Amino acid sequence: MASRRGTVSRRGFVKAAGAAIAFPYAAPSGTFAAAGAAGPGERITMAHIGVGGMGTAHLHDMISRSARGRVAVAAVCDADEKRLEKARGLTDRRAAAYRDYRFVLERKDIDAVVIATPDHWHGVQTVHAAECGKHVYVEKPACCTIEEGKAMVAAAARNKISVQVGSQGRSQPEAYLAHRYLVNNLGKVHRVACWHYASPVGGFEPDGEPPPELDWDLWLGPLRWRPYNRAYCPGTFRWIMESGGGQIRDRGAHVMSCAKYFTGTDGAGPVTVAATGMAPARGLWDSAVHIDVTYTFKNPDWVLTWSQPGEPVPAEKRKPDEARIERPGYGAVYYGEKDTMVVWGGDGGTWAERKVREWRPPAGAVDVYRSPGHMEDWFKGIRTGAETIMNIAAGVEVAFLCILGNLSFLLGRELTWDPVAQEIVGDEQARRMMSRPQRYPYTL
Amino acid sequence: MADKRREPRDKDPRAGGAEAVPIGPAQMVKPLAAALAGADPDAARAAVRALRRLASAAGRPGADDDRAAVVWALTPYLAKDKPRELRREVLWLLADLAGGETVGAVAALLGEPELREDARMALERIPGEESLAALRAAFAGAPEDFKPNVAHSLRRRGVAVEGYPSARLVPVKGTSVGA
Repeated sequence: MASRRGTVSRRGFVKAAGAAIAFPYAAPSGTFAAAGAAGPGERITMAHIGVGGMGTAHLHDMISRSARGRVAVAAVCDADEKRLEKARGLTDRRAAAYRDYRFVLERKDIDAVVIATPDHWHGVQTVHAAECGKHVYVEKPACCTIEEGKAMVAAAARNKISVQVGSQGRSQPEAYLAHRYLVNNLGKVHRVACWHYASPVGGFEPDGEPPPELDWDLWLGPLRWRPYNRAYCPGTFRWIMESGGGQIRDRGAHVMSCAKYFTGTDGAGPVTVAATGMAPARGLWDSAVHIDVTYTFKNPDWVLTWSQPGEPVPAEKRKPDEARIERPGYGAVYYGEKDTMVVWGGDGGTWAERKVREWRPPAGAVDVYRSPGHMEDWFKGIRTGAETIMNIAAGVEVAFLCILGNLSFLLGRELTWDPVAQEIVGDEQARRMMSRPQRYPYTL
Repeated sequence: MADKRREPRDKDPRAGGAEAVPIGPAQMVKPLAAALAGADPDAARAAVRALRRLASAAGRPGADDDRAAVVWALTPYLAKDKPRELRREVLWLLADLAGGETVGAVAALLGEPELREDARMALERIPGEESLAALRAAFAGAPEDFKPNVAHSLRRRGVAVEGYPSARLVPVKGTSVGA
């Protein structure tokens, strides 16, 4: 299972790096909308949809880039007016503010959008942005249903846009080392065992009225209507099965992303998915507290397991001058016919074990793609049309793993999956649950 | 077994038949529905979860009798005298599980402003000619402000609908930030 990706092409980036200009918030270009392979030095005009925790981190990053002239931040958008005001303030009040993301999409001058809304919005907003010719960086997990994922892939292809899914583990420096080590040393990988600590139990407050700054209807979007409860947001949508889907979908979209990338199995899916677990007995949050999933792949034959909590591998001790393993509570062990490999984390923090980091490739060793950074890799996709490291097809496939694991847990039975047609087979109820009707007009 | 199923199916599910179901998981519907509609929100949430598990089990391949019995037991809880949140939850359970046998009870909710959108989505999901016919009928009789919603469902089911173009890309919600 060697990687299918080649070595990095650096065309255009040297020029781009020297193209800084003095008006970071100046009139946007619209140059890159609808996927043209334009000059590498031209500025990309951005909008940020969703400016909460992760969205604000992206906004800070983009403002920093705008100071170097690479991008211009033209708009910010959120269903929460307090957040919106704060985000606009971060741009020195130069970016336009919108509550309704569709105002952003109808602006012809905006080239690209960063979508960092709650997970149940990712599919709809990505499809809509694609239809409006915007390039998309969408936070992980890519989608909440199989149907959403397929629609995202189709919309991106149809409109020739560049999409990067925010499973940024693939772009981390030690991910490159792990990928390279695996390709050269493990031989055929027959098992990847992921572990992660449990999902939380909570949400004991009664339903109530939404705060005045929050547009609850817009926050819910495609989800069926329900009364506001402060346990839904901000951030805690992760523990709602219909939205975040718990740790397996939140961090599974990181850890399993690395697993598929390192093993070169983007483009492949399992044939069976079998999950067991434990739902919370109390509280509004309904994602599985504990969940163990086995994904069986064929041709080549291998097994991917998700164990929550599983058996964590203790973090290795690192020297003072080495990057410390900040979050050893999740990761994966890769079992090959010749060797094994441990990788902790898998998101913005990805750490490979010592032997991986100290391995020096001999003459003739295979090299692998070295991401210039997750955002830079996306910009490369926008500027050149190159496939991004976590492109929408790959992101959706990883999200499908998370979704299928949860579905198998919810249904209490093994699912059979057709990885080519990307459909559950032989189970009418499960097939029905590959999609979810959406509230009009917040629809695919 | 076939005889056991025939009897309750012959009755109008809205007439109230939850007590009459004699077999398997359907017997659990009544106490769980009571807990869902009760005053304790924590018990209600646990009941929702249990009902979903029950519906999941009843929907397993080859369990047609369980599925039919649970659908039969759930359908009376769509009745107008039941609490709204219970009815909403039952709509979604039936959307995952039911076939044409429950379409009439679901379609009846299209006339209720607070539940019509959930009923529309349930009909969109329930396969078969009965749900499609119900959506067509709903479109013909729907008030103007709801016709676009039903038109959306019909299009999702592969039906060409004249007029009422999708408003999904039409921005409507303004902000006072930066104004």
